[in-house]
Amino acid sequence: MVAPGDIVRFESVGMRYRFGAEVLHDISFSLSAGSFHFLTGPSGAGKSSLMRLMYLAHRPSRGSISIFGQDVSTVSRPELASLRRRIGVVFQDFRLLDHLTALDNVALPLRIAGGREGKIRDHVAELLRWVGLDEQIDAKPTTLSGGEKQRVAIARAVIARPQILLADEPTGNVDGEIAIRLMYLLEELNKIGTTVVVATHNEELLRSFPHPRIRIENGVLVGPNDMFDLTNEVT
Amino acid sequence: MMLPSMDLPFGRDPASRLLPWTVGLLVFLATLCLALGMFLASAGDNWRRSLSGTLTIQVPAGPEQQASSSAILQLLRGMPEIRNARQIPESEIAKLIEPWLGKMTPTLDLPMPSVIDVTIVDGLSVDIEVLGARLSSIATGTTVDDHAMWLQRLIDLTDIAERILLSVLVFLLLSAVMTVVFTTRTGLAIHGEVIEVLHLIGAQDSYIARQFQIHALWLSGIGAAFGFTFGAGAIMLFQLYGERLTGGLLPYIDLGDIRWGVLCILPIVAVLLVIATSGITVRRILGRMM
Repeated sequence: MVAPGDIVRFESVGMRYRFGAEVLHDISFSLSAGSFHFLTGPSGAGKSSLMRLMYLAHRPSRGSISIFGQDVSTVSRPELASLRRRIGVVFQDFRLLDHLTALDNVALPLRIAGGREGKIRDHVAELLRWVGLDEQIDAKPTTLSGGEKQRVAIARAVIARPQILLADEPTGNVDGEIAIRLMYLLEELNKIGTTVVVATHNEELLRSFPHPRIRIENGVLVGPNDMFDLTNEVT
Repeated sequence: MMLPSMDLPFGRDPASRLLPWTVGLLVFLATLCLALGMFLASAGDNWRRSLSGTLTIQVPAGPEQQASSSAILQLLRGMPEIRNARQIPESEIAKLIEPWLGKMTPTLDLPMPSVIDVTIVDGLSVDIEVLGARLSSIATGTTVDDHAMWLQRLIDLTDIAERILLSVLVFLLLSAVMTVVFTTRTGLAIHGEVIEVLHLIGAQDSYIARQFQIHALWLSGIGAAFGFTFGAGAIMLFQLYGERLTGGLLPYIDLGDIRWGVLCILPIVAVLLVIATSGITVRRILGRMM
């Protein structure tokens, strides 16, 4: 049952890769629209697997997932693509396309959505200026630093104004100052209504930005274990 | 090779580099095959046209030969179904058999039958058996040949040859399909990571398939253009020098505008086939993914 305002809902979800052992067990939680959560846990706990389920890269082996009120196990392929367009993802390894320029990488979601080329270029150039990459618009990812790549990845994730933004260890490859700036950017997006989930095990970041946490250990969600009360957020 | 800017890095795809060569070779062979089929069909038509509607009558050699021939000619010219009946002069007969017997000299006194060439009025026919019986009553041993047996053999031969060429053409197109399936599957495997990113960003299967199709259009278009140019060049050379090379054994055949038009469609069909195969292959494989 999806409660009004729930944008993501997991019910007794299990996940395995091919025929391997289950890596996530009985995951149940819901996220309300416009919320900001950290997904925390030690390395190998299942954060990335949980994120993969949320950005619809993988099907659950059991249980049900509904995103935007739609059960993902029953949606058609075209509907699945439509759902994905409403979800922005900053991948842990950025996953930029090396043969495309920064501008073309960021423009991808708009082109895929069938946007008009003239508007796309203006819009993307403006966003790249905003993230401080106006000098690297035509640069290929291989020539960019880790921080620059990350900003391109973030720009690509937010260019189509997604309703959900998922960032998997977005500060893993950048220094502290850039990580802080990135978090401010994500908070700005959250203020305009984007539901944000950031997977991280960066304790400093968690301390600096007091948002609710979803903690996962050994593939199982564990209750809130610090100063933020999440009893109404994590079931 | 310069490619249009696309989301998938096809330039790094070694399998697709072979596609223009393969398509080019297949289009070249298919062009020759189709042209040969059309040459045969055209030659068959020419032979049919030249032999149908005519009869050849042979009056055996003998003391009454000339008188019999004149009587037969008179009879034939009186028949409403017959437009024209003409006795072929001895000099013309000598020329016809020259390739087999060599130049005949007047001293070589061979018993030669009289040959009468008959043309039938368009749309009418003659009962060969009845005519044969009537002519035999004038001169025993006179034969009437409507070329049916020779014509039927010719038709059978060209039909078989055309079917073989059609089969070869189908095999060539199937080879093109299999090559494209292999190239596309390899491309999907090579670009798997990029395709996953595109999917996760929200790309439909049709968007990714379109990228493969544009790539296939580009590569197969180049191959088909070269293949067809070389094929058409070979056909033109054959038309120019073929008659000389065959020593007049085969009739001169001009493909004509319509047949050239059909040939020009071949590379377009090949490219469309490549595009369709590429799109279907991509959609089928992507359809199995999440």
